[in-house]
Amino acid sequence: MMNFYIGVAALLSTIILYLLSKRMYRIYKSPFTLPILTTTMTIVVLLLAFQIPYQTYMIGGKWLDQLLGPVVVALAFPLYKQFKLLKTYIIPILTGVFVGSIIGICSGLLLVKWMNFEEMIMYSISAKSVTTPVAMDITQSLGGVSSLAAAFVMIAGIGGASLGPLILHYSRIHLPIAKGIGMGTASHAIGTSRAMENSELEGAVSTVSMTVSAIVVAILTPLLIVMIL
Amino acid sequence: MKILKIIAHIAVLYGFYFVGSLIQAELDLFIPGSIIGMVLLFLALTFKLIKDSWIEEGTQFLIKDMPLLFVPITVGIINYLELFSGKGFSLILIVLISTALVMISSGLTAQFFLLRKAKIE
Repeated sequence: MMNFYIGVAALLSTIILYLLSKRMYRIYKSPFTLPILTTTMTIVVLLLAFQIPYQTYMIGGKWLDQLLGPVVVALAFPLYKQFKLLKTYIIPILTGVFVGSIIGICSGLLLVKWMNFEEMIMYSISAKSVTTPVAMDITQSLGGVSSLAAAFVMIAGIGGASLGPLILHYSRIHLPIAKGIGMGTASHAIGTSRAMENSELEGAVSTVSMTVSAIVVAILTPLLIVMIL
Repeated sequence: MKILKIIAHIAVLYGFYFVGSLIQAELDLFIPGSIIGMVLLFLALTFKLIKDSWIEEGTQFLIKDMPLLFVPITVGIINYLELFSGKGFSLILIVLISTALVMISSGLTAQFFLLRKAKIE
């Protein structure tokens, strides 16, 4: 029974902190004030300050995990809604996402291997370019650590959203469709919301790309890991 | 009434997730069951096997606040904080470099095909 109350307290404080973070984000919009970042950091600091073990927090935290499977399934809906866009630009989207995904998985794996990090890190970093719930699932089936994957995904998202416009400019990627494909493939939902600020078309194509790349990376990662390791 | 609708919609999504996980386990696939479920839902919508209205509100409800769902697991980095100090700091750099490479390669590839198509037309 005690556990139940701890769980409820953990769940409620997570939701409240998330809602507060969302409100703050609306007032002060930046990739560094994203609710996922500020909520996570606040909870980490609180747990450390009050010396609450992560396991205790997770009594309630794991209730939210139950919705991670369904939310990945739900991503089919925006893809379906943009089916016309996907069909119109099928070649640029598929080739761009495919090439980007292979380069993303391989460069992450090779750099980590080259720096002599443990295998566990390689498993956790390989899916960093896709949206968090998918990256966590891929990482789990490889035997990596989901929490680390989530951190890498966040860095890829925030990095891409804040440096993306500069990177795209200097690599002479100027067509809105190509920019959207780059943002969505490299920086998933966080990059997509940045692309949305440029134009609706760029945002929509980024949404499509991030979903296609989730599927492509899920299929390619295990194969590429076997080849590289 | 809306809350019941959302719950029913999430139940449908759960169904697809369940079937996806079942296929994954039965065929011993390395692709996560959630991704298989997503592809199945996409096909079901495309071939009009299910209607938008069976999942729409639930889908929007989940996607709108998706980050909340993975806050707890992300907080798990609390057990790996030492990893990001010292040598581990280079992991941040690795992710940033790799992310830039993904953006450049996917963007340039897409642009190449877009320009070629424009030229042909």
